[in-house]
Amino acid sequence: MRWQKELRGWLLASPYFLSALLFFLIPLGWSLSLVFFEWNLIAPVRPFVGLGNFIEAFKSTRVHHAFFNTYKFMAIFVPGVLAASLGLALIVQHLPRLKHLYAVGFFLPYLASGVAIGLVVRGLLSYDSPFNEFLRKIFGEAPRWLRDPVWATVVISLMIIWKFSGYYALIFLAGLQGIPRELYEAAALDGAGPFTQFRKITLPLLYPAFYTVLVLAVGLCFGIFTEPYVLTGGGPRFATHTWQLEIYYQAFERFRAGYGAAVAVFNAVATFLSILVIRGVVESWGARKGFR
Amino acid sequence: MRSLAKVGLGLLVVGLGAVAQVELTFWSAPNPPQEVFWRTMANAYMALYPHVRITVSPIPETPTSEAGILAALAGGVAPTASENIFIGFGSELMRAKAVVPWNAFPGWEEFLQNRRISATIKAWEFPDGNYYIIPMYVNAMLVAWRIDILRELGYERPPRTYSEVLALGERLKSVYPDKFLWLRSELEVPTWWQRWFDFFVFYYAASKGQPVITGNSITADDEAAVGVLRFFKTLRDKKLLITEPLALGFEDGKTVMTVLGPWAFPWWRENYPELVFGKSFVLTPPPVPDWYPADEPVYTFADAKGIVLYAPATPEQQKAMWDFIRWVFADPEHDLVWIKITGMLPARDDVGTNPLFTSYVMEQEPALLPYAESIAYAVPPIAHPEFVEIQELMGLECIYPVLIGELTPEDGWSLWKTLIQGLLR
Repeated sequence: MRWQKELRGWLLASPYFLSALLFFLIPLGWSLSLVFFEWNLIAPVRPFVGLGNFIEAFKSTRVHHAFFNTYKFMAIFVPGVLAASLGLALIVQHLPRLKHLYAVGFFLPYLASGVAIGLVVRGLLSYDSPFNEFLRKIFGEAPRWLRDPVWATVVISLMIIWKFSGYYALIFLAGLQGIPRELYEAAALDGAGPFTQFRKITLPLLYPAFYTVLVLAVGLCFGIFTEPYVLTGGGPRFATHTWQLEIYYQAFERFRAGYGAAVAVFNAVATFLSILVIRGVVESWGARKGFR
Repeated sequence: MRSLAKVGLGLLVVGLGAVAQVELTFWSAPNPPQEVFWRTMANAYMALYPHVRITVSPIPETPTSEAGILAALAGGVAPTASENIFIGFGSELMRAKAVVPWNAFPGWEEFLQNRRISATIKAWEFPDGNYYIIPMYVNAMLVAWRIDILRELGYERPPRTYSEVLALGERLKSVYPDKFLWLRSELEVPTWWQRWFDFFVFYYAASKGQPVITGNSITADDEAAVGVLRFFKTLRDKKLLITEPLALGFEDGKTVMTVLGPWAFPWWRENYPELVFGKSFVLTPPPVPDWYPADEPVYTFADAKGIVLYAPATPEQQKAMWDFIRWVFADPEHDLVWIKITGMLPARDDVGTNPLFTSYVMEQEPALLPYAESIAYAVPPIAHPEFVEIQELMGLECIYPVLIGELTPEDGWSLWKTLIQGLLR
């Protein structure tokens, strides 16, 4: 029966639809209803401000910092996480045994609490940590890891790379396992060494996995919150300020829910456009190289 | 048989109606000792009045109490009442009509008498003449000194003025190059409430308690504020102040001075029993400018919080909560329990004179005595509804640029005043 098949399909997809409805569509609709008001979520009156919130957000230096910092994080995070996760996937792929155990092990940081990791990193990089004592002994001084704009950005980026490498490695691992061994055997017979095999077989055939990881990684940069919140509060001087910190600050510290929602809309638009551009670039590059 | 069952069911329904309970929820501060106190009070009250059921739980810090309460109000799951509300956030709640005035309930005057709070409560009056917050405690912020280390350096008492502090710092560095005078990594972080525990402590001391903002006007003592900024900058330049995170600091003697509230004592007792008042540390008011007369009292910042009653609660719940709160504060023994459990001083006019408290404090918690003595000189937080942005800008556009040498103390202060003008309307 066709209708029974369709019903089964809808039933199987319903958990996703339900969660999307609850955690995405309803909040989205709620946010959109807030953006035209100057409201703190609890006051009995909500003054209508039209596009005022958008205009203010557009001019806000805080939002400008969040916007540009996202690309700063992206510049470190995306290549870093691509390299690290691909490296992990290759290591796991070539392990003689217990591949799944290692894959799960590398995935664990993804499940760890961002706050807990933040506190550990804060301890590791504190002025009197053994690591900094060591650096001071060798070089005379240690970087002000969380108080220097460049180092703070690097530290936060590395934390996120560490957290997501294992997760993205699973995607690469699935891609690697889908490459037929015969291709490598044939290439070896033709005299191709490991590096040539990697460049001519592995990388092109991993294109779909690269594409997926790239899109996920770019999107993630627009949602960074916990790490800078715990470690730097967005400082020094907004150097690690992000979209999510700004939305949180406006909505839940200054109680400006309408304005916070307007910033969230800008964040969504920036995310969408950035992913669109990256996708376009990668797809045209893939087409040129004949990867798709 | 069926009719018998119906009668039984009817009796059960009537019986349940007769013991209908009033359900109240009370959110305590997210500080375990405070939660213990409120649970103790609620259990004692419920034993006396079984028709009232009070559920006590800590405010969900997401990650601040204010945000947790706001989210609960917006989500329609606000408690009947909560503590841990400071006057600035209270103004915001009042403006949003999310809280109801306590003084509207019958017995308010009698309550003020019973709790001996008639003088203290005056600072908590809102512009509309109502009292939306019942003050629970007032923590005058003091400065703790590692007197054991100071003695090693030849000091018998802590320094009083900026110059004396700097001299101590230089002596400390000459003997212990790896130690610092003060760890305050938050000075480089703009988080608004951190200013309560650095700038405002020193500013009120230097300005003899001059308010920074009164109504919608800046009423700060500019000279005092600039002096504090210059003092911070000098400390940092001389490497006496460390603004990077340290694993510990004061507790393990890497630093010798810290701004301290009495909430640290229960934690110290458990984790650092070697920190003994009078032996390893002493408490003083904040350091003051050199010109400050030695015989005048020194003001400081008051970390003062209280209890609010939320508007979404039903009139029956509000009345029941008022009865509970009145019961808690009618007996000074309950305030003694508060001191014993939390180590903080209750907001009472007689906290420094009532023998019930003073005898306990002198015998058991002598470290609380300096706090009790300073309450009269402790200034509560800025009450302006834009307190978050005002204090955030102070960290961001004034303290940080001054510390790193981007702005002079005069320019930093002047910039902050200019920036907040737009908020004070």
